[in-house]
Amino acid sequence: MRQKFGRSLDNLQTIVSFTDQFFAQNDIDDSVRYIVDLCVEELFVNMVTYDTETDADILIEMKPHAHGVEVTLTDFDVVRFDPRDVKPVDVDAPLEQRTPGGLGLYLVSKMVSSIHYEYRNRTSKITFIADR
Amino acid sequence: MFQIGFGDAGTIIVAGRLDAAQAPKAQEFLDAITDECILDLGQLEYISSAGLGVLLRTHKRLMSDERGLKLINVNRHINDIFMYSGFDKLFEIEAAV
Repeated sequence: MRQKFGRSLDNLQTIVSFTDQFFAQNDIDDSVRYIVDLCVEELFVNMVTYDTETDADILIEMKPHAHGVEVTLTDFDVVRFDPRDVKPVDVDAPLEQRTPGGLGLYLVSKMVSSIHYEYRNRTSKITFIADR
Repeated sequence: MFQIGFGDAGTIIVAGRLDAAQAPKAQEFLDAITDECILDLGQLEYISSAGLGVLLRTHKRLMSDERGLKLINVNRHINDIFMYSGFDKLFEIEAAV
């Protein structure tokens, strides 16, 4: 299943509806739903927030994979940004040293089973596996 | 659908999906809080890093006056997110029964 989404946070609810439809059509364990929702949002929001020099829609594809889901987000006409290269977050730091932000891609790295990045012809493609 | 508002005895009820699109609404509401308070997350289905940022920003502001947020009725998925984020070390958290 695949669909393109405009570069707006207002489309997050539309993406949830798309994911609802995918899960309804496929026999996938509900336990991976939260992982899919969170990782798709974090990656989509990151693309919308940082890849601001393009108006191209973002393509989201989902397909069943073993005991879970394979999800790919493709961002067109953008510079290279590998989500695996983000700085680690010190989650043991005391409150006074914690600042809002920076948790999104960290959570993605912790929750997915695997994540792959490909950059070719100014197109960023991120694929992750979410499973039990 | 995301909702935030006062419940009984001044508890703040947070319900629905707290994602990046809804975070400004939550932040606007919580910015008006000046005393320690309890957030009942029993009806919160989902939170992303944007929502975590709202909680952290509010908690830090209140803790600077030795107040803070207490999070109650936290479901298993959201509790997992709190643990991955280290929020279990920053907030007083009660899991849902």
